[in-house]
Amino acid sequence: MEDAFRGGIRNAALRHVCVRTPSVMPARVDHDAVAPAFGGAPSDAIIEIDGVTKRFPGRPGPAVTVLDPIVLRIADNAFVSIVGRSGCGKTTLLNILAGLETPSDGEVRIAGIPVRGPGQGQGVVFQQHALFPWLTAAGNVAFGCRDPALSKADRAERAAELLRLVGLEDAAAKYPREMSGGMQQRVAIARALALDPRILLMDEPFGALDELTRIEMQHELLRIWSARRKTVVFVTHSISEALILSDRIIVLAANPGRVILDLDVDLPRPRGRADPALLAHYERIWAEISA
Amino acid sequence: MTRPATQRIVAVLVIGLLLFVWELAVAWGWLRVYQFPPPSRIADGLREMVTTGFPTGITIWSHTLTTLWRILQGYAAAVALAIPVGLVIGAFPTLDRLTASVVVFCRSVATLSLLPLAIVWFGAGELTKVVLIGYGCFWVMLSNVIAAVKQVDPALVRAGRSFGLSGPRLYREVVLPAATPRMFAGARMALGVGFMVIVGAEMIGTIEGLGALIMEARSFYRSEITILGMAVIGLLGFAISGGLGWLQGRLLPWESGLDAVRR
Repeated sequence: MEDAFRGGIRNAALRHVCVRTPSVMPARVDHDAVAPAFGGAPSDAIIEIDGVTKRFPGRPGPAVTVLDPIVLRIADNAFVSIVGRSGCGKTTLLNILAGLETPSDGEVRIAGIPVRGPGQGQGVVFQQHALFPWLTAAGNVAFGCRDPALSKADRAERAAELLRLVGLEDAAAKYPREMSGGMQQRVAIARALALDPRILLMDEPFGALDELTRIEMQHELLRIWSARRKTVVFVTHSISEALILSDRIIVLAANPGRVILDLDVDLPRPRGRADPALLAHYERIWAEISA
Repeated sequence: MTRPATQRIVAVLVIGLLLFVWELAVAWGWLRVYQFPPPSRIADGLREMVTTGFPTGITIWSHTLTTLWRILQGYAAAVALAIPVGLVIGAFPTLDRLTASVVVFCRSVATLSLLPLAIVWFGAGELTKVVLIGYGCFWVMLSNVIAAVKQVDPALVRAGRSFGLSGPRLYREVVLPAATPRMFAGARMALGVGFMVIVGAEMIGTIEGLGALIMEARSFYRSEITILGMAVIGLLGFAISGGLGWLQGRLLPWESGLDAVRR
């Protein structure tokens, strides 16, 4: 691992330039003051999904279409959830955004640049058990800070800062096996934020947690998101989780995966789970899914 | 008195009673001495092994050291060879498919059945013994290294890829560390195989070593010495396995997670 960072830059000013990854990003306005933009006006879209399809060869039989042409624009700094039954292709879509899978057709652009693979400003939080078990919490986060411009000390400092952000400064030396599921996912979030990505992709990150931890983590995520404004694409099969968190909810249907509902959730946060407006949205989404 | 202490005392008493009955059974002629040498006889044998040795001049210590040295050579060579070969095979699925049947075949050939050929090729000297031990250890270690690499959790590989790692760097920074526990388990299994093979490997061309001691004692109806040889092999295996377990805990502290918080 050492040799990758041999070229660590000591000059603080230069380092700062290198850390702020894609220089294409538009000047960001004061994080806390600005409410996230809604809707899909192409001008402020950071993620553009253009006719993305995914087919897998059927063995035997015809090819399986997991995603029918998907067209979506996602606004900068928005919190967007993708909801749908198992097999609707939501994880596949997320993997395509992450650059971990390639679409059969179509294209994804982040800040106008076509996605060719990982490391183009995407940070990914997976389901549980994707932390590296041989690294401590701090080690896992530092693994994410693999910017060649960062010295070892800088990486450690950055990892400590991120662990502070997710409230785990005291658990830096713990191994994943010694942490609860909720703590593990906090570390996973810190790791995904390590290179200050433009978009944060989350694949059912709280799916394996118990209900109480899950609610706690939803609040925690909103807190982190308000501290570090990012565009978030959040895959879940919990409608209420999507409603508590998101500015916008995209509902996918299966066979083939396609968008059947695109809903703006224009409610102030924090949201009450029993808020009538929220429940009305819930009914609407459920009606589409169960139709 | 604490429960574990009580249990220990009971265990010692039971073993003591068993030895006593054994001793009596031989004394009263229920058991034959050369079939079931009594504890007193084994104790005499041990005294002889430590002082004059059996065959005369070769003490239990030199038998043990000779055996350990042979196992160490064969084992170290096998592990040193199996790790790189296994890592290469595991890295390329095509290579794995091509070699899989060979690996299973060679691992299944009982090592001792190679003894006659090994003598023809390498003579009846030290080399044959080391090669046999090495053969047994190698295939066990190799199949474990390959399996270790193949069974790395795809979620970890995906996480590594999400940070832009691919190719050799992904392999070195994610696959390799993720595979170490299974490789370590393979190394322990391989050592066990080494101890299994040694007795057979020392059956010919030598009077030194624990395996040779066991066979030699048999031809002189010295069953108590055979038993001593067996006991020393058992103790060695026990001690070395424990030592490796300790080493594993030291080298891979993340794996045991002893003070795990479970919620």
